[in-house]
Amino acid sequence: MRRLPGCDSECVCYQSVLRHQPWHRACTHQVMTHRILIVDDDEQLARSYKEYFTTLGYEVDCALELEEAQALLGHFSYSVVITDLRLSRLGFGGLDLVKHIRELSLQTHVLVLTGYFWPELKSEAMSHRVDAFVRKPTRMAELAQTVSSLTGGAA
Amino acid sequence: MKPSLLETLLDPSQLSVCFQPIFHIHSRANQVYSLEALIRGPRGTNLHRADVLFDYVRRKKAEAAVDQSCFAAICHAATGLPSNLRINVNVHASTLGHGSGFVSYLRSQAKKHSLGLERLTVEIVEHSPTLNVLELLHSLASLREDGVRIALDDVGLGQSNYRMIVDCNPEYFKLDSYFVHGLRADSNRRAVVKSLIALAGAMGSSVVAEGVESKEDLSELVSMGVDLVQANLLCPAKPLEDLSAAGLLGAATTKPLSGVDQALNSWKEGAKSLPQQQGSTDVCRPTSSP
Repeated sequence: MRRLPGCDSECVCYQSVLRHQPWHRACTHQVMTHRILIVDDDEQLARSYKEYFTTLGYEVDCALELEEAQALLGHFSYSVVITDLRLSRLGFGGLDLVKHIRELSLQTHVLVLTGYFWPELKSEAMSHRVDAFVRKPTRMAELAQTVSSLTGGAA
Repeated sequence: MKPSLLETLLDPSQLSVCFQPIFHIHSRANQVYSLEALIRGPRGTNLHRADVLFDYVRRKKAEAAVDQSCFAAICHAATGLPSNLRINVNVHASTLGHGSGFVSYLRSQAKKHSLGLERLTVEIVEHSPTLNVLELLHSLASLREDGVRIALDDVGLGQSNYRMIVDCNPEYFKLDSYFVHGLRADSNRRAVVKSLIALAGAMGSSVVAEGVESKEDLSELVSMGVDLVQANLLCPAKPLEDLSAAGLLGAATTKPLSGVDQALNSWKEGAKSLPQQQGSTDVCRPTSSP
């Protein structure tokens, strides 16, 4: 449990409390738990990301396919989408997901994970306003720090 | 090798089925008129939620295959139902417009599970603007020859428009909750619902109101002549065993609905002198070709 950043009041804001009571009544800050979507065709890796981010206080969903991620995006609102660039052996479905998010004008930060750093690929992804690139393999803490900076420092 | 998500959906045993009653409000004490079978995806997956499940299926363009899997799951679940109860099943228009494959499958599965086709109402759902209408109409005609009734789902929204009403000539118009929610307080919604009731009556069809969330809206619908109602307010979708435990699947299939009954009864008392709404109870019209 930790005190939330940005809360100046004398009360103590605990993640465990906020998870059950998203609108924090004891201080003037309106704090909501961020929901993130992790998209990776490696189920084991996706699950380990989910476990890690859940312990940090995020609400986490995982999708293994492009279409599953698109269906989830149609029904839930996410603060951050973390997607692998390569979602199948056949192609770079992560880019299609980024395009989909931007076409829908969703207010969602997009973090792309990739082991491929071809300049053309990166520049195409950037043209779709990717918020952050993280090279795979990466440490969980590094990924969490990037997500935290995108969400303004709170889980 | 672990099956893909889509492959999982094609195994009917991975799907679960809930049933939501459609009540006949005017008849004996809110009689259960029919049960709509509602599919849930595999437990522990994102697709357990029906809206996410079918969004995924449509994105995969796998409606026809998954509709078959869903029907097999429904037939299996329905074996525990009393034989006097009707069953509504959702089928994509694109599935029916994709040749005779689904109709043949429906017949074979119903036979396998000793489910009388005359108990079935196929609810047409559609999200795709491109559709082989001739194939669809051919499938509907085949279904009607078998005694299956047709409902058009989400009337007034998306592709469930006037053209679909004309082409499908449904026995039931299912009014979407968008038009029903807040009906009492919104004259525009009342006007639309009134016109759809009149249209259904003129076509010899019945209206089913979905998504009623308040006693006020329910009372308004009843006063407008709608007598088939499906709503969480009355009874949410439940597994068969829960419906049975709630006494909804007994011989008389009637159930006092606390609170709601009071609102309805008070309306009925005041409405005895009102003329009968045209077409409001015509739920057994002769089957006809579209």
